Parts: sequence; structure tokens; C-alpha cells
Amino acid sequence: MKLRMQITKDPEIRFISHLEYARTISRAIRRAKLPAAYSEGFNPHLKFSLASALGVGVVSYTEFVEIELAEPMEVELAAKALDKALPRGIRVLAADAVDTHHAALMSQAAGANYRVTLPYSRDISEAVTAFNEAPQLLFKKAAPKTKAGFKEIDVKFYIPHIDVTCDGAATVFAFDCKITPTGSMKAVDLLNALNEHYQLDLPVEMADIERLNLYRLSKKGNKVPMLNNDAVKLG
Amino acid sequence: MEKELTIDILSSVQKPARYTGGEFASIIKPQAEVEATICLAFPDVYEVGMSYLGFKILYHLLNKEQGVQAERVYAPWIDMEAKMRERHIPLRTLETKKTLKECDIVGFTLQYELSYTNILNMLDLGGVPVLAADRTDEDPLVIVGGPCVYNPEPLADFFDFAIIGEGEEVMVEVMTAYKKWKRAGKPGGRQAFLQEVVKISGIYVPSFYKVEYNENNTIKAVQPVAENVPPVVYKRVVGDMNSVDFPTSPIVPFGEIVHDRIMLEVFRGCSRGCRFCHAGMVYRPVRERKPEVLKDLARQLVDNTGYNEISLVSLSSADYSCLAPMVHDMIDEFKDDRVSVSLPSLRIDSFCVAIAKEIQAVRKSGLTFAPEAGSQKMRDVINKGVTEEDLMNAVGAAFESGWNSVKLYFMIGLPFENDGDVLAIADLARKVQYKYYQVTGKRGCKVTCSASFFVPKPYTAFQWFAQDDLENIRRKQFLLKDEIKTIKNVTLNYHDSKTGIIEAVFARGDRKLGKALLLAWQKGARFDGWSDCFDYERWLEAFAEAGLDKDFYAARQRGENEVFPWEHISPGVSRKFLWNEWQKAYAQQLTHDCRRSTCTGCGVCQKLGVKIIDYKNAHGEVEA
Ligand code: B12
Ligand code: SF4
Repeated sequence: MKLRMQITKDPEIRFISHLEYARTISRAIRRAKLPAAYSEGFNPHLKFSLASALGVGVVSYTEFVEIELAEPMEVELAAKALDKALPRGIRVLAADAVDTHHAALMSQAAGANYRVTLPYSRDISEAVTAFNEAPQLLFKKAAPKTKAGFKEIDVKFYIPHIDVTCDGAATVFAFDCKITPTGSMKAVDLLNALNEHYQLDLPVEMADIERLNLYRLSKKGNKVPMLNNDAVKLG
Repeated sequence: MEKELTIDILSSVQKPARYTGGEFASIIKPQAEVEATICLAFPDVYEVGMSYLGFKILYHLLNKEQGVQAERVYAPWIDMEAKMRERHIPLRTLETKKTLKECDIVGFTLQYELSYTNILNMLDLGGVPVLAADRTDEDPLVIVGGPCVYNPEPLADFFDFAIIGEGEEVMVEVMTAYKKWKRAGKPGGRQAFLQEVVKISGIYVPSFYKVEYNENNTIKAVQPVAENVPPVVYKRVVGDMNSVDFPTSPIVPFGEIVHDRIMLEVFRGCSRGCRFCHAGMVYRPVRERKPEVLKDLARQLVDNTGYNEISLVSLSSADYSCLAPMVHDMIDEFKDDRVSVSLPSLRIDSFCVAIAKEIQAVRKSGLTFAPEAGSQKMRDVINKGVTEEDLMNAVGAAFESGWNSVKLYFMIGLPFENDGDVLAIADLARKVQYKYYQVTGKRGCKVTCSASFFVPKPYTAFQWFAQDDLENIRRKQFLLKDEIKTIKNVTLNYHDSKTGIIEAVFARGDRKLGKALLLAWQKGARFDGWSDCFDYERWLEAFAEAGLDKDFYAARQRGENEVFPWEHISPGVSRKFLWNEWQKAYAQQLTHDCRRSTCTGCGVCQKLGVKIIDYKNAHGEVEA
């Protein structure tokens, strides 16, 4: 059996890295005494995985962890035990269970929804309209592992539409970003691309990025929650 | 509210999680319950400070006290400091994000002399006046503790009072006194509190002592200048380690720290009597914990932390009376939890190799032994109590068990050492390789030798010794390097010796050094223990400007009757004992370990009214 839980990365711990986040969850699984499965070998590893890698500084209310169990356990009990064993900034929101051979959540995520808040008050509605109407917007994203050091992507392929509001002190971006088997793009690169193409001066380094949702897509293209409908909800 | 760390700053520094807290088991009490906040400040980066057992103990213990909130702070790395200074952002605690100035007490641990500049820097970043004399009633009390506190004189200008010795009991007394004084509305201000707290045994208030110097700059006398002040402050020591609190739910950090595992303190103290060893003198006597107590602590620690390794820490854990049976039991008990057991260091004998094999703590890649010196003469000078035969037996056992490489730790620059003694290190490495050939019939055993530069410390037999100067130690390093180059598969590691000289200056320094410390910090010194930050020239300038001579402190042989700057603070070891040990070192005579034999007269047990607790001998509660 495989437990799947929706967990958070709250603002107070937003600056831990993906690796640190993963280590923390593995230790919490041990503290919670979940009957988790281990890999074979001299240095056995807990069998668990995270649905996506979140950048340093990014807050999320929809992270997913999948834990393979060696023995079955009641979902609600497991979810509560893990919640108690996690540090304050990581909470368990919901949980369900599937068969061990069920496809990994990682492979099913099709999109994410973001909110990005900037301390910025200039009017950028023209640029926003232009972006939303543009058929394509090419951007060279940093790709340190490649020879060229960058990779050209079409921002519009990943983010077809953005909603932008401003309350006088802060500008808030809301958008969906596609996730494909070959990858996705970083929320911060949307801001970089906007700055580059429309000569804006968005203070990218101050961006407060929150991932609000991660979802699957149905055959018809509707958003479907990552967990099953019968998932147990906590808190 | 003053400025806080913002998203752009945290996104631009290395390892930002160092600065944001929120780790599992970190403690934040409801504000209404908190009467006094003490900040435990470690003068080095997060990963180093979080590995420090002493603060795990004190954090847990202080937070158990009603009304006390203990918090943590570490030295911000260079990149973060630059941002903080640029934007005037003060240094804050990880728990409730108080600036250091907002805390009631800020307590630094003194583990290493080369972190002293970081203390000044952290105070300054935290909004606290660096000099104790400049602090007002609006400022926190700055206190220090830890092993270097047996000579805190170079820091006397910067702290308000020191805790001498083990903190478990005395800190509860200090916090109780503090809460009482604070509740009463802080009558008399900080000066009155100092006069109150000095009545607690183990508290040293430097401003209550006057230092007089001789014309040759040595100390004439150090005398109390206030009432109720003891002429000598003796250390506090926990009588029974079984009844003192040990943290069972320490903070588990998000990222990897230097010692990323459970640290279970098996016993305190070590009386093997190595003459260079500061810890061996200042932590006496040996006090073991019972195996049942340790097993119970281990269980709770495993359950509460989720770590998969237990390290049995003590100054020489292999000397634990019940080691083998306890290790068996623990391995058994934790097999299903996939928790392993490890020892931080091995003694040089086959018993230890057998244990190492059993716990597989050290993978086949290499076992480490510390003969400390190459020649038998030098091992006798330092009272190591290890012969070449012992080493050959130990490595022989290791090779029989399948290891094919060893690491050997040595010191050079020891008293009475000549070039032959230095070259003997290479010789020993050769013999180890030959042993491998004898045992396995094969060649190619890898031997890694590491040679560190000896730094004489106060309250050791070598406190009278003049440290080698730079030129001499370099010559010895090259001599050894050239010799080892000729041996295949033997490598030599050694460090730049300049840090060792600054460490030596502060280890046996006096109050005048405060000026040099302040100057060096003002010139930019910090993280002096990090080779990429250390700047020797800067230190030389600081000494020159302060009108001080580094050689006076580091490279000067002291006379039999010279008064040392640290003698009004004492771990209980008698000067007579140390002088005798110094004489015996010259004569290459050994002194036995008192742990399971007769008292060798260091004076600690009698002076402090404590005794050795060891479960192997007549105290008899446990049979090994
Ligand atoms: C764990 C450890 C580490 C860890 C964690 C850092 C640390 N300093 O602890 C790591 C691996 C990172 C490390 C690194 C280094 N270490 Co180290 N380390 C130790 C070790 C093994 C244990 C320390 C410990 O937890 N002791 C147990 C506690 C309970 O004892 P304690 O500190 O005395 O604390 C008690 C009291 O003194 C008091 N107390 C202490 N501080 C305070 C503060 C206040 C405010 C109060 C009220 C009370 C109080 O209360 C405590 C409880 O009773 C010691 C050796 C030893 N066994 O002591 C070496 C030791 C401290 N390290 C040493 C050295 C040399 C280093 C390094 C320089 C190595 C290197 N070349 O890089 C670095 C320096 C890092 C640094 N800035 O400290 C030397 C220091 C020698 C010296 N004074 O110069 C020691 C003594 C080992 C040795 N004999 O060589 N070390
Ligand atoms: S007083 Fe005697 S028994 Fe106690 S530690 Fe010193 S030498 Fe050992």
C-alpha cells in the first residue's frame, strides 16, 4: 500500500531547500513510526517520494508525499501521526491510500497554480494584456548543466494567461503553469520574461511566490485534485 | 520593530535555512509565560553550532524552567553579514526573532580561541555594546561558559560574568536569581545583580578583580576588589551523571550539520592523563552513566529524533566500563529501527578494533588511530601510555578484519622534541605498512598521517612550555614532508601553523589581549578558524598597535613560580600536580590512569568533593 499525503511548506520555513525538505520528511516518517518500506542493501533507504521539487524561497500549500508501506495502516491514523512528527512549518492537509503499483503522483501532476506578490505599484496593465494576447514569448532560462548555459523556452506554452491586480502597495500575479513529463518552468522566470520583453522593472528578487495548487487534468482538460475524492482531510 | 531579513536577502545568501529557524523540536513558549529570555550564542556558523552537545543540553534544561525561554543564535556567514550591515538589520534569535539587545541574557560558549572575534562581531550585530563597561541597564547581561573559560582573561573586557565548569546545576540557580531580581523591578541595576550572582558558586565576574603586573609584564597578583568575591572561583561539577538532565528531544535541523546524528554522552571526564590535553585536566573526575540509563536515553532519542545513528560521545568513549555489552544490546535493540551505533574515536588496541568491526561504524575505507607522537620517547613525554607494539597489534587486528587503510593522528612541536622524533612519524607509517604486508601478504596499504601543530593550554602539564616558533615548526613540517614523500602510499596532511600561534596567544593570554582582540575585529577579523577568512598579517598589526608581543604569550618558557593570568579560576587541579607532571615529562616518566587504580593526586576529587564513578571497579554496581 502507498500512502499519499498533501502537505505544506509554510512561509516560516520557505527558505529550506528541496533536499532539506525531503530529509525532514524522511525523519518525520521515522518519528511517526509509520510502517514504511525500506530499500534493500547495506544502506537502506526509506521508500518515499515527493511529487515535485520546490525552489528555495517558494511557499506551497500543495506538496505531495507518497510513502510506500511495508504493512497496511489506517490512513487517518497515519496522517495524524505524521502531522505530529513534522516541524511547525509543514502540515498534513489531506491523505489517501492507493495500491503500491499505482502510478507515481510525480508523473500525474499536469499543472500548478501560483500567486506571486511583489512590493510594486506601477501600472503594468498594458504589458499584461500584451502578454495574454501574444501567441508566443521566447525566453532564455538559465540551464547551468547545459553547454550554452541557457535553454530557450516558450513561456506562453507553460503559462497561457496571467491575472494581475494591484492594491496600490503590492502587485499580485495569479496564474496556472503547465507541468509536462519533460518539465515545467519556474514562477520567477515569468517575471524575468516580463521584465525582458516589456521593459518592466518588476523587483524580481523581492517576489513572494506561493504555490496554491497542484493538480491533474482529466481527458477533457478539467482540473482534477491529486488525491482521490475519498481522501481524509485534516485541519 | 527594527528591520528583518527580507526575501531578497535570504534568496541571495548561501544556505538561508541557517537564519530562519522553525526546526523540529525547537521551542517557542507562549509570550505570556516568559519572564526571562536567554539566548545561547554559538560563535560559529549554524552547522557547527548545531552540532555542539553542550547547547543541546542547556537549551533543553533551561526551557524546562518555568518562565525561562532559551533561544539560539549562530554567527552569520560573511555573505549574510555583508547584507545585514548594508541594510542595518540586527542579528536576531532563531526562535522569537528577538535582537540580542532584547534578550535578558546572552550566553556564549567558548569552545575554541579562534572564535573569539566572532563573539565581538555577533554582539555588535545584535545591537549590544561590545565592551562590558559600555553596557547600560537597557542591555542584556553577556555571559560565557565552556572549556576555554578556564582562562577567560583575554575576553574579560567583553563579558559581564562567566560560568566556570558544568552548567547544568548552576544555570538553574542563575536563572532563578535573575527572575527574582527582574520581578522586583531590577533594583540597583546590573551592578547590583552582579553583586548578587557572584554569591553563587562557580560565577566569575571579571570586573570584581584587579590585576597587577610585574615590570616584565608577567602577573604580580589578581585580587578581588569587591565584597563576597572569592579569591579563586572553582568550577562547578555534576556529582552524578545519572541524575542530571540529558536532552531526549533535541532539535532536529532541516539540513545537514557537521555531527548529524544522536549524540549520547556516555561519561564525562577522562583521567588517562595525556599531558598535552586540556580536556583531560579540566573535566575531571570521570563520571559514567549507568548502561540502563544510557539505553533508556537512547530509546527516547531514537523515537524523538528519527535519526538513524547513535554516536557514543565522551572524551574517550572506548574506556567506558560496560562498552561491549552495551553496544551489543543497543545494536540488538535498534536493529529493526535501522539505527546504527558509532564511536567517535578508537583507542589503540585490538579490543577497539573488534568493537569497530561489530558496529561497522567506520566503513572499510579507513580506521583512525591517534598515537599522537612518532617516537616512544615522545609518547612517554606526553604520557600517551601507548607503545609501538600496541599500535602494531591494533592495526594488525584491523588488517585481519579486512581494513586496508588507516589514518594516524600526530602532533608536532611538542616539548622536548627533536628532529629525530619528527622523522619517527614516517618510520611508524612504514612499520604500519609492513604490518599489512605481514598480515595479508600484499603491499599497497594506504596510510594517511595527519600532523597538527601543538598548542600549549592552561591547566595542563605543558602550560609552562614555549611553543615552537613559526620558522621552527615549518622546518619540521618540511622535514617530515620530504621524508614521507619517499614512501609509497603514505600521505601527510598538515595545516598552516599561523592559526596555531594565534590560538596559543589567546589560550595563555591575559587581560591586556582584549585590546588586540578589539583591534583585530575592527580591522575585519572574524571566522579566524576558517582558513579562507584568517589573516595573520592583520593579527600582527593588531598586536603591534596594542603594544603587545605575541611571543611573550606563545613562545615564552614560563618559570616555576610565575603567576599565571588564569589562576583565580580553577578546575580544581593543583599546580603542584601539574608541575610534577611537567618534570616527569622531561624525565619521560609515565603517570597511570586513576580511573580504575590509585589516586595520582591531581587534587580535583578532594578539592571539589566529588568522586570517580566507574562501573567496572569497586563502586561495583555493574559487572562488565
Ligand atoms: C562536538 C565537537 C565539535 C563539533 C561541534 C562544535 C563544538 N565545538 O562542539 C564539531 C565537529 C563541529 C567541532 C568542530 C571543531 N572542533 Co570540536 N569538539 C567537539 C567535542 C567533541 C564535544 C564538545 C561538547 O559538546 N562537549 C560536551 C559539553 C557538554 O561540554 P562543554 O562544552 O564543556 O559544556 C558544559 C560546560 O562547559 C558549560 N558551558 C559550556 N558553554 C557554556 C555557555 C554558557 C553560556 C553557559 C552558561 C555554560 C556553558 O555547560 C555545559 C554543560 O555542563 C569537543 C571535545 C570534548 N569532548 O569536549 C571538541 C573540541 C571542543 N573541538 C575542538 C576543535 C579544535 C574543533 C575545531 C577547531 C576542529 C577544526 N580544526 O576544525 C572545530 C572548531 C569549531 C568551533 N568553532 O567550535 C577542540 C577545542 C580545543 C581548543 N579549545 O582549541 C575540542 C576541545 C577537542 C580537542 N580536545 O581538541 N567540534
Ligand atoms: S583527584 Fe585523584 S582520583 Fe580524582 S581525578 Fe585526580 S587523580 Fe583521579
